[in-house]
Amino acid sequence: MVAVQDALLSQMRRGTLQYCVLALLAKEERYGFDLVRGLAEVDGMVTSEGTIYPLLSRLRRDGLVESSWQESTAGPPRRYYRLTDAGRTALEGFRLEWRRFRDAVDHFVERNARS
Amino acid sequence: MKPTTERLVDDYLKQLDSELADLPRLRRKEIVEEISEHIAEARAASPSQGEAEIRTLLDRLGDPAEIASEAKERFGVQPRKSRALEIATLLLLLVGGVVLPVIGWLIGVVLLWVSDAWDSRDKLIGTLVVPGGLLLPLALLTIGTSAGGGCSTPVPAAGAREAAACIDGSGGINVLSLIAVTVLLLAPLATTAYLARRMRRPTATAL
Repeated sequence: MVAVQDALLSQMRRGTLQYCVLALLAKEERYGFDLVRGLAEVDGMVTSEGTIYPLLSRLRRDGLVESSWQESTAGPPRRYYRLTDAGRTALEGFRLEWRRFRDAVDHFVERNARS
Repeated sequence: MKPTTERLVDDYLKQLDSELADLPRLRRKEIVEEISEHIAEARAASPSQGEAEIRTLLDRLGDPAEIASEAKERFGVQPRKSRALEIATLLLLLVGGVVLPVIGWLIGVVLLWVSDAWDSRDKLIGTLVVPGGLLLPLALLTIGTSAGGGCSTPVPAAGAREAAACIDGSGGINVLSLIAVTVLLLAPLATTAYLARRMRRPTATAL
């Protein structure tokens, strides 16, 4: 792939990844490993699983997610992440904007787009 | 000696920790802890723990350097080294002329103009306010204090003002020259602060 496209794709992925994390946590609280594997399951979203942790750390600092320890039946206690109210608001805001943006781009670049 | 698998994990975490050195201490600790929890969780999930499994697990996590550069970007941390030259430039502009009269300052000016951390306007300000940095005000201050008695005897006509302007004691300094020296002292300091704030972040190259 052309270098410019590569950089663009990786920037878009980086920019949207945090909202994918927020969306995953909106459904239910998850512990790190579970969350990371959930993201990695979808092809093309995450190349290095470890890079999710700096993002989680940042989201926590920004007050969009919070974490708490919970006992686990399978081993040592786990750190669970959950969405805060601010996180929910941020996600909702992104959803609206993303739909508009996605539709706008689709309008032009989709092969079968209505012209 | 520890089994190879333990050593692989230890080395990985150690390398990650040192790569994260530029991050605030708490963030660094947090990220290393969570990745080590991730590894523990993954190992608990699969019973066979051969060297191949561990290597695969660490590969999936990614290169510590990559995780660290992601962390620096998410937290807006500047790489430390890249600013050394800019800081040297500012120091030379400010005190270079004092340490190595005139030449030190000139080197600072050259560094300022070849740097891409400032735009032309900043460079102009850095050069003109004040040429020589602290050299001129410090020189004036030295001359002023050593000359002593700079305060002329009050002329009766201008009496009150002159008297008020005159500081009693050995090195009486005229208020006007005091103000001038203060301005000359503060201006280069203000310029340095201004340039430090205007310093452009190293442009992010492709990710």
